[in-house]
Amino acid sequence: MIEVDRLEKTYGFARALKGISFSVRKGEVVGFLGPNGAGKSTTMKILTGYLLPTGGRATVDGLDVVERSLDVRRRIGYLPESTPLYAEMRVDEYLAFVAEIRGVPRDRRRSAIARAVELCGLTRVTGKDIFELSKGYRQRVGLAQAIVHEPPVLILDEPTSGLDPNQIVEVRKLIERLGEQHTVVLSTHYLQEVEKSCTRVIIVHQGQIVADGSREELIQRRPAGGLLARVRAPEAAVLAQCTELLPGCPTTVVERGDGSILYRIDVQGAKAPVEEAFARLVVKNGWDLLELHRERPSLEDVFRALTLGSEPEVARA
Amino acid sequence: MRDSLVIFRRELKSYFYSPIAYVFGVLFLGVLLYIAAKGSLVAGMQASMQGFFGLLPLLLLIFVPPLTMRSWAEERKTGTIELLMTYPAHTGSLVAGKYLASVAYLGFVLVLTLGLPLTLGAYGRLDWPPVVGAYLASLLFAGSFVAVGMFFSSLTRDQIVAMLVSLFVLAVLYLLGHPLLAGLFLEWLPTWGVDLVHGLSPYKYFESIARGALDTRDLVYFACFQGFFLYANALVLHHRRTKG
Repeated sequence: MIEVDRLEKTYGFARALKGISFSVRKGEVVGFLGPNGAGKSTTMKILTGYLLPTGGRATVDGLDVVERSLDVRRRIGYLPESTPLYAEMRVDEYLAFVAEIRGVPRDRRRSAIARAVELCGLTRVTGKDIFELSKGYRQRVGLAQAIVHEPPVLILDEPTSGLDPNQIVEVRKLIERLGEQHTVVLSTHYLQEVEKSCTRVIIVHQGQIVADGSREELIQRRPAGGLLARVRAPEAAVLAQCTELLPGCPTTVVERGDGSILYRIDVQGAKAPVEEAFARLVVKNGWDLLELHRERPSLEDVFRALTLGSEPEVARA
Repeated sequence: MRDSLVIFRRELKSYFYSPIAYVFGVLFLGVLLYIAAKGSLVAGMQASMQGFFGLLPLLLLIFVPPLTMRSWAEERKTGTIELLMTYPAHTGSLVAGKYLASVAYLGFVLVLTLGLPLTLGAYGRLDWPPVVGAYLASLLFAGSFVAVGMFFSSLTRDQIVAMLVSLFVLAVLYLLGHPLLAGLFLEWLPTWGVDLVHGLSPYKYFESIARGALDTRDLVYFACFQGFFLYANALVLHHRRTKG
């Protein structure tokens, strides 16, 4: 549905996009994740035809976003960051305006607006001026204007930013429902949002894609940084033995249970497989080993690891 | 074309949503009609609209910049321009829609002044052809100012800056065509220079049509003048897509 090929964008001297490539299949809900200024909004603005790329190309439904801009725009519903709306208009008037400029035929306009109002839960406020609405309702109006012409592709730039937790949950549910009928690309810096509503995650950092895949794929790709072991043995002995026989792997106590203690062994500096070495230690000393497994990183760990360094390490799925 | 109409209707409506249309209309009409009526609705005087049309350009100079300052600057400030520019419509139709809305609004205000010539016509002998010509000239003149005001609004996201710059530019354009200033130019400019400077000003052509002589050249001038600024407006918007 969307193909992006080595897309570049330069603002003056700043390179906002350094040749990013990805594709989105029909029906996917893709979450764009990245720190502020990573290039999420820029990518979306190029896809919607608001900005022209400096290099590379992008197509929506096989149509080039530069050469066939108007045709591409017809296939896209767009919610820009911070939800700009004509606040002086009434909700129903505004949606009628959008339906008309978006080219919904006259005889279908009424039902298209009714559908958008219904889907976004705006029935109670259609007669109100937009400036009277709460931020949550405005966001829904923003979503309604994006879907009123039933576009195959929805591009939502930070659809939940600035909302309170209840509103976030509501908007997220709404996006999930929209995802059933539309291909959705949304950007966010809330990790839970991606975990809850997206089938795929693309992490962008400094104008490059540093990770692309399903949530599970991304988590597996990240090597665990620690080995967790629950042992029933004197604490001092375990720490001493580990320091001596597992050089480069600092061992720390995670929690003390009744009788057993959970240790974390940092394996990042290890030369040989730490599991085996630790197992030999257990056998040699006759400790009771209750639990031994690798730490499971969360998406948050993956995100932090990929976007905190100044030089992005590229891990494409 | 269809897109222009959709934008036109929304823009025109938005004038009437805000107090601007009313405040503007009342002030404009109040000042204009008061002064004009004082001069021409006097018993024993010749029924004439000269006072009215003499004052109109100056009032348009003062009132058009505050009217057009919002057109693009506000859309940029609130971010609605991002939606506007991603609708399946050509940039030109957006410019045309906004332009037509402002002109239609000013046309509406001009229609409201028809009471004056109608009164004059009822109580005295009013020569109608020049009055009709002058109304046409006023609309073309107002349209030119709208085109300039919109252009400067497209250059900034600050409405006040847009207003001040267009006020300044329009004042210069206005004065260039004014007989008073032309007199000053005569001092040190060659005749062809005076004609050139004079010929740039919409005011000159307004006067020419308002005097009752409908010359194709005057119409061509207004078409070119407005076309130039509207085209420049579209170029600015288009250029911003590449710049970001």
